[in-house]
Amino acid sequence: MTNVQIAVQTSTAAPEPATAAKLTTRNLNFYYGDFLALKDINMVVPEKRVSALIGPSGCGKSTLLRIFNKIYSIYPKQRAEGEILLDGQNLLDPKYPINRLRSKVGMVFQKPVPFPMSIYDNVAYGIGHYERLKKPDMDIRVEEALRQSALWDEVKDKLKQSALGLSGGQQQRLCIARAVALKPEVILFDEPTSALDPIATGKIEQLIADLKRDFTILIVTHNMQQAARCSDFTAFMYLGEMVEYGSTQQIFTKPSKQQTEDYITGRFG
Amino acid sequence: MDAAALATERLYRRRKLTNGVALVLSGAAAIVGLFFLGWILLTTLDRGIDGLSLAMFTEMTPPPGAPLGVGGLLNAIVGSIVMCMLAVAMAAPIGIAAGTYLAEYANYTKTGAVIRFVNDILLSAPSIVLGLFVFVVLIGMPRQIGNALQDTAAGQAGGWLEGMATWLIDISGFSGFAGAVALGFIVLPVVVRTTDEMLRLVPTQMREAALSLGVPQWKVISKVLYRAALSGILTGVMLGLARISGETAPLLFTAFNNSFWNIDLGEPMANLPVTIYQFAMSPFENWQLLAWAGAFLITCFVLLVSVLARTLLLRKKMSHD
Amino acid sequence: MAAPHDHIVKSFDAELERINGEIARMGEMALSQMQAAIDVLNRRDSKAAERVVINDDAIDELERTVSNDVLRVLALRQPMARDLREVYAALRIAADIERIGDYAANVAKRTMVLNQSAPVAPARSLPALAGLAGELLGEALEAYRLRDAGRSASMRDRDAELDAAYTSLFRELLTYMAEDPKQITPCTHLLFMAKNIERIGDHATNIAESTWFLVHGEQMSAGREKADKTSE
Repeated sequence: MTNVQIAVQTSTAAPEPATAAKLTTRNLNFYYGDFLALKDINMVVPEKRVSALIGPSGCGKSTLLRIFNKIYSIYPKQRAEGEILLDGQNLLDPKYPINRLRSKVGMVFQKPVPFPMSIYDNVAYGIGHYERLKKPDMDIRVEEALRQSALWDEVKDKLKQSALGLSGGQQQRLCIARAVALKPEVILFDEPTSALDPIATGKIEQLIADLKRDFTILIVTHNMQQAARCSDFTAFMYLGEMVEYGSTQQIFTKPSKQQTEDYITGRFG
Repeated sequence: MDAAALATERLYRRRKLTNGVALVLSGAAAIVGLFFLGWILLTTLDRGIDGLSLAMFTEMTPPPGAPLGVGGLLNAIVGSIVMCMLAVAMAAPIGIAAGTYLAEYANYTKTGAVIRFVNDILLSAPSIVLGLFVFVVLIGMPRQIGNALQDTAAGQAGGWLEGMATWLIDISGFSGFAGAVALGFIVLPVVVRTTDEMLRLVPTQMREAALSLGVPQWKVISKVLYRAALSGILTGVMLGLARISGETAPLLFTAFNNSFWNIDLGEPMANLPVTIYQFAMSPFENWQLLAWAGAFLITCFVLLVSVLARTLLLRKKMSHD
Repeated sequence: MAAPHDHIVKSFDAELERINGEIARMGEMALSQMQAAIDVLNRRDSKAAERVVINDDAIDELERTVSNDVLRVLALRQPMARDLREVYAALRIAADIERIGDYAANVAKRTMVLNQSAPVAPARSLPALAGLAGELLGEALEAYRLRDAGRSASMRDRDAELDAAYTSLFRELLTYMAEDPKQITPCTHLLFMAKNIERIGDHATNIAESTWFLVHGEQMSAGREKADKTSE
């Protein structure tokens, strides 16, 4: 019996409209010192969709995510080779200004890390670095960002209070507000809900579904059900390699690689 | 009970016994330590309480042999305050800057490791050595150079060489400034260490989160990280202050002492530790009483600052949970 | 796909095994019900026929058990990919086997009615038809047990044989009824019984298609030849 076809049944989902590629990686290799952590990654992140990276611990998914905003560059021993095209421009090129990159590609981390300032200042911090705004304009931007992260109603009366007084889920939404305040084009999420309870997780997942109208989203998660719920495209990685990449429906109902199937059915190892 | 259960029971009882013994021994050790601490405090209190009076804070050091109750420690207290404040003012900024460099720029590098190591050596250097060093650099060497210059300038009439020589000889004497510098050397490594550790305690993710917004590193440090580590850094400074308030040896060779009122940093300056040393060693009863009072004062001050520093740190720890 | 090895969480495998076992038992019971139905037809034994009808309850009970177990696995294990297809196929196959059991019981029920009149000639063709259907069912169940998609495909093609046999029996009965109107009643019963047996074949084919889907993750190509020409 020959092996399976990858074609998705046309009778099931409505056909996905063709989407432009926002980020493209070409022959991407990543080194921790001499250790080759990512091997020849070729991947396309489509525009205004949610793409998920899944895989067992140590497979390199967080490493890959952190290349997209070059946050690895503060660590001396880490370097990347290859190309990553953002709207056609290679962002691994040393001439590409890092600050411009980070204003286009925002990041939300696993542990909510609000700055030790008021809620208002947390959101205004990043904006203030790029734009000189008068107070009324800044107020509008802060409100917009908080509304976009579904936090406005809960904090509008206490903008001047310390951000550390918020609950975990609220803090994470504040971090998201901080990122969207800069009006980026891509938002990277590194296991955004692994430190949160189920209800907060649900709210963040709903938020992500809303955000994808305006932003391209790339999310790393070790919770497969979350990847299944939230994403349009899923990539499975193992030991630094991109094993399989496709639509979420296809990956979770009929993956084409045995490794992928073993991982998502819990047979790994 | 069968054999296996019996064996388990025996094992359990032996473990309980070992636990009990260890508990008793460590409790005893704690009690011994606390006992002596308590004894010291009580003795100091007992002997010093008689000398404690308002006069201590308002009158100068009396001449030896004066009747009891006459005179106080005002010049010593003021001198100590001035020198400690100056020492902290000089050492804290350098220490914070160095600590920041270690934590943010040289964290995992070899340079950083070397600097940390050297800092630790400075931290445990005997204070008398530091005092001697400052003596040589600020007092001994200028005098030598001044004398040498004067000899060479003896032939030439006037000129700047002569002026420089005179100036060098002038400044080379015991001075409050030299005392402050010596104390500063003691505060410096404490502040460097604490700043380094407190900054390193700030979660990496906060650093990365700020950097991800595209903000440059120096701004991340000044606006975000300092705020996060502020109470810890302040604690370091306060611990440094607590340490130098009782240091005697470095002052012996630098500020020496002064029986009279003096707030001129260029001249020898009175200070509590050396005063206590001088008074305690003397045979005069009024001086001995004042020495006890002074010792008690320093003890209380150090206790106060340490407790304050610890409460600050505790509050910071709790707010981060 | 290669046969998968065990789940990291062993109890998941145990639950899937249990569902497998339940379906296997249902299959055995359905097969023996079919045998029994033919047997009672040949022997014209109404008492035995009654027992066949009662025994069908056990198959229905098992089908409910399988449904419950499948629901449990879906809720508690969130199965993905092949595991999901396994439980999905199990659900559908259980439903098919339950219908097969019902048809077998119906055949037995009609036998009781048939025994009230004299034996009819075309009744002799029925056991052969049923035997063929039984073979098809056995083949489908075996293919499922072995998860052999190829075997399912070939079994499905053989359903055409059953349909052809049914069509010829149908015509034979029509002819008989036309010749001798007094035989219309028993012949009508026979017609229904034959239809039931043909339906058993169709459900067996469904089982084969579910097996194919389980293994390959896509539906079998539609071109199933329906050789039931009785409606033409």
